Amino acid sequence: MKRVLGILVVLALLVPAVVFAGGTGEPKAKTYTFAYMSGILDPFMIMIEKGARAKAKELGVNMIVAEYPKAWGPDQQVPILEAMVAKGGFDFLMVVPTSTDALIAPLKKISDKGIPMITCDTYLGDGNYNKASNYSFPLAYIGTDNEAGGYEVGKKLAEMIGGSGKVYINTTNPDVSSVSGRRDGALRAWKEFPNIEVVGIDYNLDNPDKAQAQTAAVLQANPDLKGVFGTNLFSAQGAYRAVVNAGLTGAVKVASWDAGMDQINALKAGQIDFTLAQKPFEIGQLAVEWGVKYLKDKTMIPNKVLRPGYVIFTKDNMDDPDMQQWIYK
Amino acid sequence: MQDQAVGRKIFAFLGEKWASIFLVVLLVVFSLVARNFFAVKNFSNILYFATTYLLLAAGETFVIVTGGIDLSVGFVMGFVGVVSSIVMRDMLAAGNSQTVCMLVGTLVGLAVGVLPGLVNGYLVARLRVPPFIATLGMYGVANGLALNLSEGFPIYFLPTRVQEIGNSFIAYLLPGKAFTFFERPPNLQPGDLRNLIGIIPGTVLVVAVILLLSIFLLRRTKFGQHTYAIGGSKDAAIRSGINVPRHLMGIYVLSSVFASFAGIIYVFRIGVGNFTTFSSSFELFAIAGVVIGGASLMGGRGTLGGAIIGVLILNTLENGLNITGIPAFYRYIATGLILIAAVVIDQLTPERRSTGA
Repeated sequence: MKRVLGILVVLALLVPAVVFAGGTGEPKAKTYTFAYMSGILDPFMIMIEKGARAKAKELGVNMIVAEYPKAWGPDQQVPILEAMVAKGGFDFLMVVPTSTDALIAPLKKISDKGIPMITCDTYLGDGNYNKASNYSFPLAYIGTDNEAGGYEVGKKLAEMIGGSGKVYINTTNPDVSSVSGRRDGALRAWKEFPNIEVVGIDYNLDNPDKAQAQTAAVLQANPDLKGVFGTNLFSAQGAYRAVVNAGLTGAVKVASWDAGMDQINALKAGQIDFTLAQKPFEIGQLAVEWGVKYLKDKTMIPNKVLRPGYVIFTKDNMDDPDMQQWIYK
Repeated sequence: MQDQAVGRKIFAFLGEKWASIFLVVLLVVFSLVARNFFAVKNFSNILYFATTYLLLAAGETFVIVTGGIDLSVGFVMGFVGVVSSIVMRDMLAAGNSQTVCMLVGTLVGLAVGVLPGLVNGYLVARLRVPPFIATLGMYGVANGLALNLSEGFPIYFLPTRVQEIGNSFIAYLLPGKAFTFFERPPNLQPGDLRNLIGIIPGTVLVVAVILLLSIFLLRRTKFGQHTYAIGGSKDAAIRSGINVPRHLMGIYVLSSVFASFAGIIYVFRIGVGNFTTFSSSFELFAIAGVVIGGASLMGGRGTLGGAIIGVLILNTLENGLNITGIPAFYRYIATGLILIAAVVIDQLTPERRSTGA
C-alpha cells in the first residue's frame, strides 16, 4: 500500500511536467495551421510566439507550438522538431534553427514534404536564401541584424565614456550566430576608437550567476573599467548586478541587449544606462502574415529577408507611451 | 632509515591535507601573478559566489558518503527560488509589508523544497531505484516545474529589501573615514562607494552557520556515524540494526533542503527569481567540489571540510584565472588541466595508494 502511495506521489509530481511538454492544438479543416519551433525557452522566444498568436488570431489561423527546448542546440531541438513533424497537421513552419549547419538536413526533409517555412531570429548557412545552395529552401529569414545592432550599442557606449577607456563584453556562447553577431558588431565599433581598450570577453552559458561572478572579477582586475556590454537578458543581469555591488554605478556605464522587465527596472534605477530592444513580437507577426500571403497566392518576401529593426531604451525615452510595446512581457 | 620514516610522515601529512595545501598554493600563486587578486574585496567576492555551491556541496556530501548521488540539486535550487519569489512578489502586490513577504516566501520555499527530497528518498530507499536514475528523474521534474511556474520569465518585482539584505556585509570599512557594522556608513558621497570595502558578506555568515551545524551533524552525532556506516557497507549497517531505508530517506531530504537554502540565498543575492538554466550544471560543480575534497563516489569516505575546500578551490581557480586576464578559451584549458593535476598528485600520495581510492 505504502509503495502504491509512493508511486502515486511521483506520478502527481510528473504530470505537470508532461502536460507542459505538450501544448499542441487540434487542427481544423480548411483553415491554415502554423507551427512554431522555438530555439530555447526564454522571454525572447516567447515574445515571437505571442506575436505569431496575435497575428494568427487576427487572420483566423491555427497555431501549434512545439515544446520549447531547454538548452540551445540541435541535440535538444531536432528530436522535438521530428516529433512535431511526425504528429503533422500543419501547413507552414516558423522555426528558429539552433545551428547554421546541423539544422539544414532535418529542415530540408520537412521542406521536401511540401511544407514551406520561414526561419526566425537565426538562419541556415550564411542566411542568404537568394543564391541557390543546399540551404536556400526556406522562403525567408526574419530577424534582427545582430551585427548592426551590436555596432550601434558599441558606438553608443564608446561615446558615453568619451571615446576612451577600458571596456568589457559579457556574452552567452561563443558559437551562436545571434550573440556572436552582437559581440563582433561592438568590437568593430570599438576599433574606430583608438583609445578604447577591450579588456576581455567572457562566456556565461546563459547562467546569470556566472555572468555576475565574471564581471565582478573583471572589475576587480580593472578598477578603472569604463563600460560593460551584456549581450542578452542573463548577461546584462549579471553585469549590472556586479557593477552595483562594486559601488561603481555611474562610473561604469552598462549597455544591455533585450528588454525584459528586469532590464527596464534596472534602467529606471540607473543601474543600466541603455538597452537595445529587438522586436520579437513583430518577428512573430511578420512570419504569420507573410506565411498566409504565401499559402494564399504564393506572394514572396522580397529578397527573402526581413529586418524588423530595433529600438534603444534610455532613461529619457523609457516612459514614452509608444515605447512600452517593445518591452518583453 | 630515519630519513625514510620522516619522508613517509611528510607524505602522509601531505596526502591528508592535500586539498587545503592546493588551495593555499592557488591563493599564493594568484596573489603573485594576478594584479588586484590579493584584496579583501576580492576574497569577499569569492566567498559571496561560493555560498550557493557550498550549500549544494554540503548536501551532496551527505549523499555521496552513503554511496549515492543527487543530480537534482541544481534544479531543486531553481525551483525553490522561483516558488519563493512568486510568493514574495504576489504577497507584495497584495499590499503586505516587505518583512512579512520575505519571511513567508522563505518559509514556503523551504517547505516546498522538502518534497523533491522525499520523492528522491522514497525512490532510492523504498523502491530501490538507483540514485543516479531517481535523482535524474527529479532533475527533469524540478526543471519542468520551475519553468512551468515562471513561464520562462525570471520573477521580478520582489521586495526591494530582498537584494539589500542579500548584498549586505557584516562590516563596512571606508579607509581613513569610517567603520561600521551591518549598515553602510551614513552620508556616503558618490565617490565613496567605490572605495567602500565590505567585510564578509552577510550571506556568507548565514551559510557558515548552516555548514557548522552540518559538520556537527556528520561528525559528532549518531546520524553522522550511521551515514558513514551505510556508505562503508550497507549489509553491515543493516545487520548492526540501522534502519537504512529511513536513514537514506533523511539523507535525500537533507540534500534537498540544502538545495532549497541555496535557492533562497540566490534570490536574496540577485533580487530576481531566476529558474536554473539548463547549461548551468550547478550539480556537477557541487559534486566536483565534494570529490576534489577527498570524498569517494563509492561511499564511506568524505568530509564536509573537504567539500568546503573543494568548492573554494573551484571558485578561486575561476576567479583567479579571470583576474589574470587570460582569454576565455585558454582559461577553460587551464581549469581542466589544473584540476586534473590536483587530483593526480592527490592519488600519488601513499595515503591514497594504501586505501586504493
